[in-house]
Amino acid sequence: MPVLHQPRDLDEACTLLAELDDPMVYGGGTAIQILLKQGLLFAENLVDLSFVPGLTAIEATATGIRVGAMTPLRRMETDAQVAGVVPLAAATYGHVANPRVRNTASVGGNIAHGDYRLDPPTALLALDAQVELRSAHGQRRVPVRDFFVDFQLTAVEHGELITAIEIPAQPAGSASSYVKLSSLGENDWPSASAAALLVTEAGRRTLRLGIGALAPIPQFVSVDVSGHDLETTVEAAKAAADPLIDPIPDVRGSVTYKRRLGLVAVEDAVRRAWKDQDDD
Amino acid sequence: MRMLNLTVNGRVHDVPVDDNELLLDVLRTKVGCTSVREGCGVGACGACTVLVDGRSVSSCLALAVRHDGAEIVTADGLPGDDAVVEAFVECGAMQCGYCIPGFVLMTHELLAENPQPDAEQIAAHLEGNICRCGTYPEICAAVTSAAARGARL
Ligand SMILES: Cc1cc2nc3c(=O)[nH]c(=O)nc-3n(C[C@H](O)[C@H](O)[C@H](O)COP(=O)(O)OP(=O)(O)OC[C@H]3O[C@@H](n4cnc5c(N)ncnc54)[C@H](O)[C@@H]3O)c2cc1C
Ligand code: FES
Ligand code: FES
Repeated sequence: MPVLHQPRDLDEACTLLAELDDPMVYGGGTAIQILLKQGLLFAENLVDLSFVPGLTAIEATATGIRVGAMTPLRRMETDAQVAGVVPLAAATYGHVANPRVRNTASVGGNIAHGDYRLDPPTALLALDAQVELRSAHGQRRVPVRDFFVDFQLTAVEHGELITAIEIPAQPAGSASSYVKLSSLGENDWPSASAAALLVTEAGRRTLRLGIGALAPIPQFVSVDVSGHDLETTVEAAKAAADPLIDPIPDVRGSVTYKRRLGLVAVEDAVRRAWKDQDDD
Repeated sequence: MRMLNLTVNGRVHDVPVDDNELLLDVLRTKVGCTSVREGCGVGACGACTVLVDGRSVSSCLALAVRHDGAEIVTADGLPGDDAVVEAFVECGAMQCGYCIPGFVLMTHELLAENPQPDAEQIAAHLEGNICRCGTYPEICAAVTSAAARGARL
């Protein structure tokens, strides 16, 4: 069994991560406990962030919001500020697992988990969020669009922890939607998912798509849809998404099935975002 | 081992726990709350649900030592005339009963946040709980009935 450490501030946490053998950050622990039960966790030391102050705040910034890494996922779904500033993020976080897991799992642990099927990264990609990292050597920021490096591999380096995620506000007049399609049960991991954000800025219309569960890492693509109507936007979205889809076959579907479902998710997300914009 | 201070159903308990012990095991074996049950063990069924400071948690994934000083509610600690429990009984919302403590606590959390949920909101809050006996229609009716009674913890 790994040894549990409970640092009382960020500096102590960073020192522990720098000095311990095989350390692992313990966020909400929902993924770590399952790996422990499955005998698949090989860390020797767990560094629990739950007693580190200052990691659970949701604050307004000049450009959007900053969310502390230990903020429970459920607050992203229920917090009025999140729903107002980044409605796409609020909707997407609300689709993770079930309310109990969302009450316990953390925003930092979710993205650090690095699973290709996670719901929240799709929205964070479309919204162009930044991940704030800290280690004994200092602080740095990584765009979410560079954060997922390879299958189960993220930009978090040895000795680093995530302190916050910064999400730029959804532009005025934008419209968005998240679609999650699960094949095993209503509340299961997705077989395919898509977050669509339609933005109109300086006369240009852009569709930003985050795609989940359809390739070894979550994918992002941006399409210029200026002058398009709904049907040509849908076609442009599917054409842009298709080359990014590289499914991993498993109990939730074959390659062929997930490829088809992926394009359905993209189409549904675009149509719902379009409707969202008409309703405003 | 260290001492953990837990308030469970209004009673204070000081219990010795190991760093890696799960809240599920501590509540069952050291506090005696056997309504907290293990099903899947991985957060997916809700049999082990408890309310920690009012919020639902899968105790099968929760480290006990992170809950020092917490206020915990388990289904066996609910008052005899709890409106949610009465609604479940009157609606016949159980067969073997294994899953029901979890459903009852999820219902309390839902009604505390949203006293008059519609069918879709009920399903969205309870969809992470599994009933192997398939009592879902009766459970949904019981939640609606509990809301009509103005259930409050
Ligand atoms: C039943 C069930 C169903 C699920 N279904 C879904 C689903 O439908 N969609 C979905 O998106 N997810 C799903 N999940 C996964 C869930 O989103 C993750 O388990 C959760 O978000 C992980 O967050 P955590 O805080 O609990 O992480 P932890 O378990 O604490 O950690 C996970 C990983 O992140 C690292 N880590 C944690 N915090 C930090 C930090 N601050 N800095 C750096 N590294 C850190 C840990 O070292 C570890 O490697 C499901 C989980 C369960 C249990
Ligand atoms: S036993 Fe904890 S959720 Fe199933
Ligand atoms: S009543 Fe038997 S599992 Fe639900």
